[in-house]
Amino acid sequence: MKRFKINKLAGTLALTMFLVGCSNILEEQPRSIYEPGFFKTEKGVYGGLTAMYAHLRYIFGQGYFYNTTLVGTDEATWGQSADENFKVMDISGQGQITPQNSRADVLWGNAFANINTANGIIENATEVGTIPAALIAEARFFRAFDYFMLVQTFGGVPLDLGNGELKFNTSPVRTSVRNTVPEVYTKAIFPDLKIAVQDLPAVGRVTGGATKTLARLYLAKAYLTYAWWLENPNNIPTYPETPRVDPDGHDAAWYFQEAYNVAVEAIDDPGPFGLQPTYYDVHVGSNDRNNEILLYADHTEESDFYNGACTNCFGDGAAPGNFAVWFMTWNYTEIRSAANPDGSGPVSSVQREAVQPLGRPWIRMCPTIGVFTNTFADKTLDSRYDGTFTTVYRGNWPKGGVTNEVLYNANNLPVSPGDPILTFLPDETEAPNITYPDGPGPSNVGAGTIPGRPDYVVTPRAISRLMYPGLWKLGTYRTNNGNGLGQPNATSTRPFNIAKFSELYFIAAEAAVKGAATVAGKTAYDLINVIRARAGKWRFDNAANTERIEDNSAAMVAATPTDIDIDYILEERSREYFGEGYRWYDLIRTQKWEEYASTYEICGPAKGDHTVQVVNRQIQPYHYLRPIPQGQIDALEMTPEEKQAYQNPGYVTE
Amino acid sequence: MKRVLLFLTLMTGKRPTRFSLSLMLTLLLMSAFVAQAQVAVRGKVTDETGAGLPGTNVLVKGSTTGTTTDSNGDYAIEVPQSDAVLVFSFIGYESQEIGVAGRTTINVTLVPSVESLTEVVVVGYGVQRQEAVTGSVASISGDAIREIPAGNITQALQGRLPGVEFTQTSSKPGATMQIRVRGTRSLTASNDPLIVLDGIPFVGTIADINPNDIKSVDILKDASATAIYGSRGANGVILITTHKGQKGQKARVSYNGYYGAKKVFAKYPMMDGPKFLALREAAGLYSLGLDEAEDVSTDWQDLLYRTGTITSHDVGISGGTDRGNYNFGIGYFLDQAVIPTQQYTRYTVRGSIDQEIGKHFKVGFTTNNNYNLTEGTQIDVGGILRMSPLANPFNPDGTWKRTVRAGIDEPWVYSREIVENLKDQWLSETRGYASYNSLYGEVKIPWVEGLAFRTNLGLDFRQSNGGSYTGQGIMSTNPTTESRASVTNSHTWHWLIENMLTYDRTFADKHNINVVALYSAEQNRFTRSRMEATDIPADHFQFYNLGQAGGQLIINPGDQQYELWGLMSYMGRVMYSYDDKYMLTATVRSDGSSRLAEGHKWHTYPAVSVGWNIAREPFMANVGAVNMLKIRAGYGQTSNQAVAPYETLGRLSTRPYNFGSEFSTGYYVTQLPSPHLGWEYSETMNYGVDFSLLGDRLSGTIEYYVTKTKDLLLNVSLPPTSGVSSVTENIGQTENKGIEISLNGVIVESNGWTWEAGINLYANRNKLVSLYSGADRNEANWWFVGHPIDVIFDYKRIGLWQEEDPYRDILEPGGNVGMIKVEYTGSYNPDGTPTRAIGPDDRQIISLEPDFQGGFSTRVTYKGFDLSAVGVFKRGGILNATIYGSGGYTNLLTGRNGNVDVDWWTPENPNTRYPAPNGVRSNDNPKYASTLGYFDASYMKIRTITLGYDFSKLFPNADINLRAYFTVQNPFVLFSPYHDESGMDPETNSYGNENAAVPLSGNLRRILTLGTNTPSTRNYVFGVNFTF
Repeated sequence: MKRFKINKLAGTLALTMFLVGCSNILEEQPRSIYEPGFFKTEKGVYGGLTAMYAHLRYIFGQGYFYNTTLVGTDEATWGQSADENFKVMDISGQGQITPQNSRADVLWGNAFANINTANGIIENATEVGTIPAALIAEARFFRAFDYFMLVQTFGGVPLDLGNGELKFNTSPVRTSVRNTVPEVYTKAIFPDLKIAVQDLPAVGRVTGGATKTLARLYLAKAYLTYAWWLENPNNIPTYPETPRVDPDGHDAAWYFQEAYNVAVEAIDDPGPFGLQPTYYDVHVGSNDRNNEILLYADHTEESDFYNGACTNCFGDGAAPGNFAVWFMTWNYTEIRSAANPDGSGPVSSVQREAVQPLGRPWIRMCPTIGVFTNTFADKTLDSRYDGTFTTVYRGNWPKGGVTNEVLYNANNLPVSPGDPILTFLPDETEAPNITYPDGPGPSNVGAGTIPGRPDYVVTPRAISRLMYPGLWKLGTYRTNNGNGLGQPNATSTRPFNIAKFSELYFIAAEAAVKGAATVAGKTAYDLINVIRARAGKWRFDNAANTERIEDNSAAMVAATPTDIDIDYILEERSREYFGEGYRWYDLIRTQKWEEYASTYEICGPAKGDHTVQVVNRQIQPYHYLRPIPQGQIDALEMTPEEKQAYQNPGYVTE
Repeated sequence: MKRVLLFLTLMTGKRPTRFSLSLMLTLLLMSAFVAQAQVAVRGKVTDETGAGLPGTNVLVKGSTTGTTTDSNGDYAIEVPQSDAVLVFSFIGYESQEIGVAGRTTINVTLVPSVESLTEVVVVGYGVQRQEAVTGSVASISGDAIREIPAGNITQALQGRLPGVEFTQTSSKPGATMQIRVRGTRSLTASNDPLIVLDGIPFVGTIADINPNDIKSVDILKDASATAIYGSRGANGVILITTHKGQKGQKARVSYNGYYGAKKVFAKYPMMDGPKFLALREAAGLYSLGLDEAEDVSTDWQDLLYRTGTITSHDVGISGGTDRGNYNFGIGYFLDQAVIPTQQYTRYTVRGSIDQEIGKHFKVGFTTNNNYNLTEGTQIDVGGILRMSPLANPFNPDGTWKRTVRAGIDEPWVYSREIVENLKDQWLSETRGYASYNSLYGEVKIPWVEGLAFRTNLGLDFRQSNGGSYTGQGIMSTNPTTESRASVTNSHTWHWLIENMLTYDRTFADKHNINVVALYSAEQNRFTRSRMEATDIPADHFQFYNLGQAGGQLIINPGDQQYELWGLMSYMGRVMYSYDDKYMLTATVRSDGSSRLAEGHKWHTYPAVSVGWNIAREPFMANVGAVNMLKIRAGYGQTSNQAVAPYETLGRLSTRPYNFGSEFSTGYYVTQLPSPHLGWEYSETMNYGVDFSLLGDRLSGTIEYYVTKTKDLLLNVSLPPTSGVSSVTENIGQTENKGIEISLNGVIVESNGWTWEAGINLYANRNKLVSLYSGADRNEANWWFVGHPIDVIFDYKRIGLWQEEDPYRDILEPGGNVGMIKVEYTGSYNPDGTPTRAIGPDDRQIISLEPDFQGGFSTRVTYKGFDLSAVGVFKRGGILNATIYGSGGYTNLLTGRNGNVDVDWWTPENPNTRYPAPNGVRSNDNPKYASTLGYFDASYMKIRTITLGYDFSKLFPNADINLRAYFTVQNPFVLFSPYHDESGMDPETNSYGNENAAVPLSGNLRRILTLGTNTPSTRNYVFGVNFTF
């Protein structure tokens, strides 16, 4: 019996060990994650491309990056709730731009991972063998796109991420060498975009997908930008230092001409793209993803997961959410009307609502007075002022649960839901009749009153860091508000527009004024007038909140000077693209930043402050390049001297 | 499971069903004893000094009849025949068998067993007499653990074992603490010790173990002790042993229970209405919201908090026959937080059986099971703290407002009443079930004395089901915000088989030898899935039918998980002692792990330790004051394989996107493959002295150790220009060295009074010795060579800028008087002006390491009364309280939302800690506001004071033990700068990436902070221990 048991025991052990040996417990097979090897399959390549589109959300619609594209230009300064990130960008004595507080790190931190993904796709697609050239061209487009963004923002950047120039990096390198600006253009941007123009389809593979027209726009813009760089009219330094000589042996004029040619080619062969009938149509939320938009960082109201941010909650102001518009929205919700005819019983009459004129206020940035007095001097013929700003704030209190049928507003006059509560007037005509309070006043925001007028009023020269017209064009658009206020606190579920067909006209015109030979019917004057003629067409009046069918094209064209110069183009660009994140790049490309932005006017941040202050900026040549982010410097394994040499001049680093 | 049954079948030669049946029968028989013709026998059992020995088991041999002696050592028993044999047994004494032989009175004197002269210590794969231990082992008995009524042992062990640091990571019910044995070694791999429950490496959470089931906890600290666990020993090993019955012991039933009330220790120190109004006016940024008024002062915390309770009931039964023993228990534990609906409930069932079969076989099993329920975790205190005290939560008719418009925000209102009323529409719960089982079969090899073969089988299963539901409009400004629900399920399966050969023999009375050889294999599988949905049509579905959702269904690929890892090991150990004077332990273990790269999976760990008990030397015979004096030294190598499975393979991260209304998920490389990833291993030298002096009145241990950890597993952030976020590599070295002292003394022992006290004190010095290829710092991850692993890299606050301070325009362009002044570390021009503005260069390395820490306990007894206290202390180090810093959004100093009560700078009040409102800001906070969160972490805290009374003294003849006690937990805090500032408990309550409006970034999760978690409480507990 004893013996029997022992034998059985031995049998058990032998069996157990055998079972263990069989399952080979030291092998690994993941089942819930992808290994990098998956990238070498056809599905992996497609997934890589999707990630490249998705990367746009981490840069465009990211409010802090948006800040770096506008604050400090003639379009924007810091707003009442601004922190250091915004104040330093203003270069007006509110602190210095440093590698730590510059938020151009958003671009730096997202671009290289995407470039590497592109490198991987371009390499692996060849290996897979079944990937159409059009798909590889999408990767090339995005690689060029990111390099183009980087080279404009930071100067020369590395082409070698660790495994050789433009090669997929799989080695853990902690050093980096910056290439020069001409190297980045001639080795990466131009070759990639040329292939993209050749191989991309006319119609995108997917909604919002890269197309031939898109690639042409960026090729033309890259040529244009590089041409300016070669010309260097105001002697702005570059970094890493390099002579302004093109390795490919061309000069600035040649590149201006190429920019013109490619842009015109795109205009002549637009594929499905074109200009929308009116400026309003380009930006009205119900018409998003229209055929004027060549590239956008898409978002959706349908799915939190695919939107990249919750659609029904308090958004947290972080990418991939689209929250840029919050930053240039003032806090209109502080406006008060009265429940009683004697002006007592304050009620919030314009509540936070998820509609295009309103949305969530963060008050980090504000337009300068010059935007309203100079850039948008014409507010009647030109539909773009009305198509850019919310100028009339209308009562929406029933949606917020306030049941009063009538409230008492300016001068204790009754107002009904939908009536104007506060109006930004177009000019100073009424200024002498306006009484502004010293502090918040009855409106609670320091707005003025005109006898007999039930809405509070503010003129352009009374616009302050606290109170300014909202940015209607980027405003929230939702379809699920029901009868209420909707979800104004969620990040915007609209696509953030990045590139528009209309810019081809501007690029060609700019190249033309810089000396490019033009073709018949496409002089700078002709091209700009296409845009201006369209700007004269009205379909809807946002301020009046009514349909307005009107065509002022002829008058607009008539107002165009015949001798168009770069300044006129820059002014026109601001009218067309105000608040969309173009301005800093336009001003540094043309080296006109200091000229356009060294002084601006704005009233102070306190309620009731309507005293115009003239603010001077100390824009230095070194500011034309943003600092290399501290995160990069910190992670580099190099000597302090090497790190300082890696940094752009003028910025102290470790 | 099939394998288990097969195993049992083969072990016993019977079908498993019959085996189980016989086991059940045995159990039944033990409790159902039938009396026969009786002979009464009585007598007294005494110890070697002649004193009565209460609690001695008296058993009729070959039967289940038995009793125990009373408190005087007397017993009375009826035996079936006059020739019966009685077995007298008591722990620590030699059992005696005495034939009744017709007698009616039998007095017995038991002599201490040689093996039990001192305590036995569990050292892993066996036990060792404490006297013979040569490694560093800290032990604590279950009874001592239970002196602190707590839901799990981590709370009870804090400050009680030198070198073992327990730090609170959450103040929510059911939370466990972070355990660090002799500091941190690893930068990105785990620093958690290995826990071994009844011999089986534990894969659950320590909260699953009921403290009442624990017999002892032994913590192996140095590598010579932990090397037997090789690749998992580097962070220390915690061996938890649960109760077993005693062979030959009469069945005994025990009940332990307590009930207590929990009151908020201190509210978060928020401003009241008038103070907040003053702040808002001083900042001048925000005006009164529609629901705010100047004469309102709402204390939102008072409206939310309730009095919590803590309840525990445990019933156990244990006993034994002459061939076996058993122990079964059930337990119930409920911990209700001061946050309404927030609670943790646990039911435990455990059992253990050992049975000898024939002369050579022994089998047994232990099972620990629990079901637990964690509720109410969705309720966030931070939201309440950020409420404006000027906002009135009530409508004129006395009903609650849904939201309040305050400043620029409109937060949703919640209070105790609202939360309780919404408990079916707003809930978050996790239901856990776990079963931890170990089975063994042991055979003594008949031909070789002392040789035995044993197979252990561990089989564990754990599941966790989470569900949450937030009804429409809850927690939202918008009343029509869609409802949301989510379900999370996770499962763990774990098996382990160990085949062990042991040889244990004493030669010539002086040579003690114990040899163990082991082969083991184990595998662990973890799976997790999670889904979410919006717009649940009816509240009654809660999260039970996401298929009914009218809105989105989300299955995020990042939330789905599968992990399978395996480990194979060979181990051998020799323990030898000569005459209990000279001792040697030598170990070698070889581990292979699936987690590491091909060709790097195996590593062998050697360890050796020696001891010399000087007191046993003849020349010490005359030194009467020294009862024991042992010096010991050890060296060993251990590893940390705590790198996540598949880490060596690299990883693609997903990025969801929409092309219009077409949805797609993209991938991109975020982590590179690490084809050379191998073990991170530590080498430890340990030196110790154990002593017992003055007739054992004073005993203690002093230890010194140096641990060097090499080939650190490092998840390294790469510069953005590499195109990849991170890679895991074996690079870098760390060092820990430290000293540990523990002393226990009997200060008074006379006239019925005893006064005992113990103290432990330890200090660890942690240092990063090197990083990859010569780098001396990695600022992205806050790693600095020559500094501890855990540091804060930030500016150093030196005060506030005053009007007269020079160079503010240079150092702080755009700054203002009254803003935070941080130290400038740059150079100066010849004229004394600074050369640049303050910037990133001025960030400094701030160590979080305390100078020393420890704990103490004291106990006074007199005539059945006992009064005891347990305390913990820490000196130095940094506490990061995010409520004062930038992360909490509770110290914005702008008047936007609720603010901690601080004294801010004004020209009239320049000498204060906090800056002027509405000065220069970084994001929403004052510039450099993070520095306001740093406090000196020193504190001393009395954790419990207990007064007990032993009622058994009142019933000298009854065979019962009854003790009742009253305990105050957390009565007071001393010497804490943070407590002085805030009135709060200075213990951390959150990981760095939690419980703040803007938490620290993910890689600083390792830094524990004091954030907006459930408030700490002071508890008043009444309890009873009853055994019969």
